[in-house]
Amino acid sequence: MREAVRVQADSRVRLMRLPRRDAGGLRECAPALVHAPVVSNDRVTRDYWLLSLQAPAIAEGAEPGQFVMLTVAREGKWAPVLPRPMALYSWDRAGGAVQVLYRTVGGGTQAMTEFGPGEIMTTVGPLGRGFYLMPDTGSILLLGRGIGTCSLTALCSRAVERGISVHCVVSARNEESLIGGDFYRNAGAESVWEVTDTEGSSSVDSLRPRLDTLLQRESVRQIFVCGSNRLLVLSAQLADVHRASVQVSLEAHMACGLGYCHGCSTAYPGLAEEAPLVCKDGPVFAYAGAVT
Amino acid sequence: MSDVDMRVALGSLELANPVMPASGCFGPELAPLIDLRRLGALVTKTVFTDARSGNPAHRLAETSHGMLNSVGIPSRGIDFFLDRTLPTYRSAGVPVIVSLGGLTVSEYWDLAAALSDAEGISAFELNVSCPNLEAGGLEIGANPVHVERVVRGVVDRARVPVISKLTPNITSIADIARASEAGGAAALTVANTFVGMALDVRKRRPILGNVVGGLSGPAVKPAILRLVWSVTRATRLPVIGCGGICTASDVLEFLVVGASAVQVGTATFTRPDAMIQILDDLERLLQEHGARALSDLRGTLEADRSTAEAMPEIALAPSSMEG
Repeated sequence: MREAVRVQADSRVRLMRLPRRDAGGLRECAPALVHAPVVSNDRVTRDYWLLSLQAPAIAEGAEPGQFVMLTVAREGKWAPVLPRPMALYSWDRAGGAVQVLYRTVGGGTQAMTEFGPGEIMTTVGPLGRGFYLMPDTGSILLLGRGIGTCSLTALCSRAVERGISVHCVVSARNEESLIGGDFYRNAGAESVWEVTDTEGSSSVDSLRPRLDTLLQRESVRQIFVCGSNRLLVLSAQLADVHRASVQVSLEAHMACGLGYCHGCSTAYPGLAEEAPLVCKDGPVFAYAGAVT
Repeated sequence: MSDVDMRVALGSLELANPVMPASGCFGPELAPLIDLRRLGALVTKTVFTDARSGNPAHRLAETSHGMLNSVGIPSRGIDFFLDRTLPTYRSAGVPVIVSLGGLTVSEYWDLAAALSDAEGISAFELNVSCPNLEAGGLEIGANPVHVERVVRGVVDRARVPVISKLTPNITSIADIARASEAGGAAALTVANTFVGMALDVRKRRPILGNVVGGLSGPAVKPAILRLVWSVTRATRLPVIGCGGICTASDVLEFLVVGASAVQVGTATFTRPDAMIQILDDLERLLQEHGARALSDLRGTLEADRSTAEAMPEIALAPSSMEG
């Protein structure tokens, strides 16, 4: 949640909204407010937890890349005051459960770990505009770092369902922080590279030639990124060379998640009008060229 | 049918119940989540004459039992408001209170004049917590003379009741309340957010892009209760309490210190159905207190007189507005 709204300013890339459904683009459905019982909430690695909520109204309409707002104040409490925006990691439309994979980084996510099975968590979703798979896409590349990978997992499942060949890079600081690789493999990804800072394999310099070869060989036309400014910049550069398009999912602190509070604007100083909102215009944006 | 009379009068504005959202903490985007028709009124985000961009990111910081925002009120301007925003508010079928902002005293007047013929506006709420560009950027709401001029000019141009929303960032809120009353306000909203800061001490940088922001949420409730209490002792105007209200029990506290109605802001972020839950609980709670009407509890604080007199700053000190 820390750096993401600065992607636009710091990364020297311009972002634009993806097309809406009425323009042949994304499917959108109205969000629902669900008093969702916790199905399970378990630690999966040292830093990561997997939360499953029974929320059929959300599972029904969810699309890859969309998110939910989770009230982390427990029943009868009103703090922490801000709900947490969380990408939908996976869901089961038939069974009505939705899953969120989260990392404990502060008070809010720490409070989330205390929810036990059966406890009610106020949940709003599905929210925002998700990823857009072009009708003629044959193979795609997913680039995720840290918890950012968990915004891309559902896209992998969807793409495999559609017969698209999916190549995944899972990046993290160290081996313990790698998350999502197993999900990708189980979902049927074509290839999964797990890279870390400790091994030196996650650096832009070591990824660039490998990805160059992959993009060339597999004719990748769509790249999807989440969780790293460096990976976004690298994707943008690779996309220019290989005539691919890039979509990035941003994270931001949010209050409403619906678009009325304007807390998650991507605004930087000097703008004449309101910048896109991460919650409503995103969280997925299309890369629209380098800033000149 | 309700057993407790929940109706509220704010001047000539009559509401079915006392619960409404705080400006900026509500939008028609909530319509799929809660039944807006149950609310006493809707309050719009503050509208300005021209489009504004708002402040740079970050605009939110969570604090202990509260939050800071430096959204900076981005606005699409009055034409967009009339064409697009107002009709969506109107469609809920409950009174619509339009929040007006201005960077000069006359901008409020011009807005009121431009909106006076618009259909479906039940009241104006003046957000006077804006920097006055004619007075070195000081808040208009901090100066009783400016507040009285803003309110009077809007009252002269408006066909609907005018509510003055006071800032808490002042020495004597009673002075500003009386200035609003002198200007012809029909009611007062108490209050806007407290100015505050949050830091990333490791980087020694402010978290908010605007450095400072407005503090809201349960953390401010005791301070706002005290301001409502002061204001109801300083003027005869009905008061809309606004600050940290999350539950029906909180609403009761505001009624007891003298508020006629309430606005709910941050709690709607925490739980989007907070206002609906308050309405579900409020009637039962009033019955438990033996009230047959909301007004039975209003201003029923059993204050120790000696305590009240020991706090002259809060009580009925003469106005110092003319120096």
